[in-house]
Amino acid sequence: MKLLTKSTFYFLLLSILVMFAGAVLLYLTIKKVIYRQIDESLITEKTIIEDQIRQTDTIPDFEGTFGHQIEVKLLNYHIDKVQAIKDTDIYDSKSDSFIPFRYIFSSGNYVGKKGFIITIFQIISEKNELLHDIEVYMFSLFFSLLLISILINYLIARRLWRPFYDSVKIAGRFDIQSDKPLDLPETDIKEFDQLNRVFDNMTSKMRNDYLNLKEFSENASHEIQTPLAVIRSKTDLLMQQKNLNKDSLSLIKSINESTTKLFKLNQGLLLISKIENQVFHEKKMVSLKQITIKGLENYKEILQLKRIKVEMDVSDEALVEMNEVLAEIMISNLLSNAVRFNIDGGFIKCHIDKIFLIMKNAGLPLTINPDDLFKRFHKSSNNPQSVGLGLSIVKEITESYGMKIFYSCHNDIHEIKLQYHYKGNSPWAF
Amino acid sequence: MKLLIVEDDRSLSRSINDYLKMEGHICEVALTLNEAVQKADINKYDCVILDIGLPDGNGLDLIREMKSKKLTGGILILSAKSSLDDKLIGLKIGADDYLTKPFHFAELSARINSIHRRNNYLGLNEITFNEIRINTEDNQVYVHDKLIILTKKEYDLLLFFIANRNRIITKESIVEHLWGDNVILTDSFDFVYTHVKNLRKKIVASEGRNYIKCIYGFGYKFIDS
Repeated sequence: MKLLTKSTFYFLLLSILVMFAGAVLLYLTIKKVIYRQIDESLITEKTIIEDQIRQTDTIPDFEGTFGHQIEVKLLNYHIDKVQAIKDTDIYDSKSDSFIPFRYIFSSGNYVGKKGFIITIFQIISEKNELLHDIEVYMFSLFFSLLLISILINYLIARRLWRPFYDSVKIAGRFDIQSDKPLDLPETDIKEFDQLNRVFDNMTSKMRNDYLNLKEFSENASHEIQTPLAVIRSKTDLLMQQKNLNKDSLSLIKSINESTTKLFKLNQGLLLISKIENQVFHEKKMVSLKQITIKGLENYKEILQLKRIKVEMDVSDEALVEMNEVLAEIMISNLLSNAVRFNIDGGFIKCHIDKIFLIMKNAGLPLTINPDDLFKRFHKSSNNPQSVGLGLSIVKEITESYGMKIFYSCHNDIHEIKLQYHYKGNSPWAF
Repeated sequence: MKLLIVEDDRSLSRSINDYLKMEGHICEVALTLNEAVQKADINKYDCVILDIGLPDGNGLDLIREMKSKKLTGGILILSAKSSLDDKLIGLKIGADDYLTKPFHFAELSARINSIHRRNNYLGLNEITFNEIRINTEDNQVYVHDKLIILTKKEYDLLLFFIANRNRIITKESIVEHLWGDNVILTDSFDFVYTHVKNLRKKIVASEGRNYIKCIYGFGYKFIDS
């Protein structure tokens, strides 16, 4: 749930609770006030009548009006002094309904031993209507107050949280490879400023570490080249010596093989770090179709020797804006893969259209997890000489140009699908 | 050929020196850019083998220097930096070829020969090796003056062998020479074997001698005997 929704939700819940309690309390208070007023007027009236009875020994002359009824009885005997105020409903035959009344019942004695009973009824349905009206107004007032305050709360919260959302949005676009700083907007809220500073520091540290690491791996690879060249040159010289016996030759052979492997490894890593460092920044429109045809030419003899049939199904030039060298390496590695893991008398099917380049080849079942196929140093166990970088280089290249690559395998037919264009008119996003 | 080796790594420059001397070249070594500029000024070299990263400057400056003084001779750049820019700039300002470290001496030898052939005004577009004659202009090979048809790879292989005659050539260096070093092929050694076999067959079929000797598990030697 969004923070804004959540805070609004809680605010709504609490407001309803508080307002409901307030409304009930207010209702009860008003009701109490009204009743007290009624009671007071009843008592006053009673006192007036009582006074008159005491002073004049007569029942005052009054006319009962509807809603206000006074009954006075004079008694010849002593009666206990009692006073009570109560609610009652009296049947009204005219409207055939019960009408709520408040009444005071009072008894007492005066002059000698004469008693009196005064009962005054006061209709309260009007007062109830008033109360009801108050109820309605109060609730609608409370309700609109609630709505307004929720809206205000929402708007304020949205405004207050905006820098946060902005920061999150910018931080979400953070790319460790880009050399641009994060550039978070300034805000006058201390906490968000703090957060932005933390973000800034964190990302710049990340970027520095990343750059150092990148620089280190590229430098390390470079520095390894010269000693490797020395080793290779020395073994080259060594093996040209006369009178070498078989054992020495076999030793040199091992050194030579390992040096070659080390060299390939280093070369691959160097290439990957160069792609990551975007050394190959020169771009132009290259035709993957032409590169594939050229690449296949390089494997012509090998294809013949392995009796591999090549089928081309090309419906587009497959123009892609990228570095030419990288495009060649990418296609060459894909082809090399398709040739290397092919079987004798197998086939390669190459399909190229506007969106995909699909390379299918016959082969043996995969001995590694397909998910690891594009990872570095994951190589098939039946290929000890492979250094396991070919496809990760392909992956690295495709990623640097925002292309996608997929692998699938059905019935020992391996398929690598390269997607360089997306449907719709905008090509890939760089 | 008279060669200048410009390489600051003493061990490597000595190796190159030793190897090329073995090939019968006359070599001189310069360890710094300064030394190289002085030597190139005084002597005339057929080819300069030039490292780019030198302690006192960029090797590319020597090329500029040589070109401004109109000094002849081929230039082969040798660099640990396989950076495309260096390669492009180097070739643009007048280098003949570019070789990335580490390299096989067989490859170095072949490149030097090729540069020498191309730069020679006398039009040495013919290589003769006993009964084998190669016209490097139209890529045709004759054995006892009889044309034999070679595939592109077999032709390259023959040139590579002749450039490195009487030397052991490893299968790795052949693979790199024929397919380039971006190609990673594991069973390529079998293909080398097949190419060598076919090449030998074609030469022998035209009554040429079998010069290619197999050094078991290692590579080949093109023996002139």
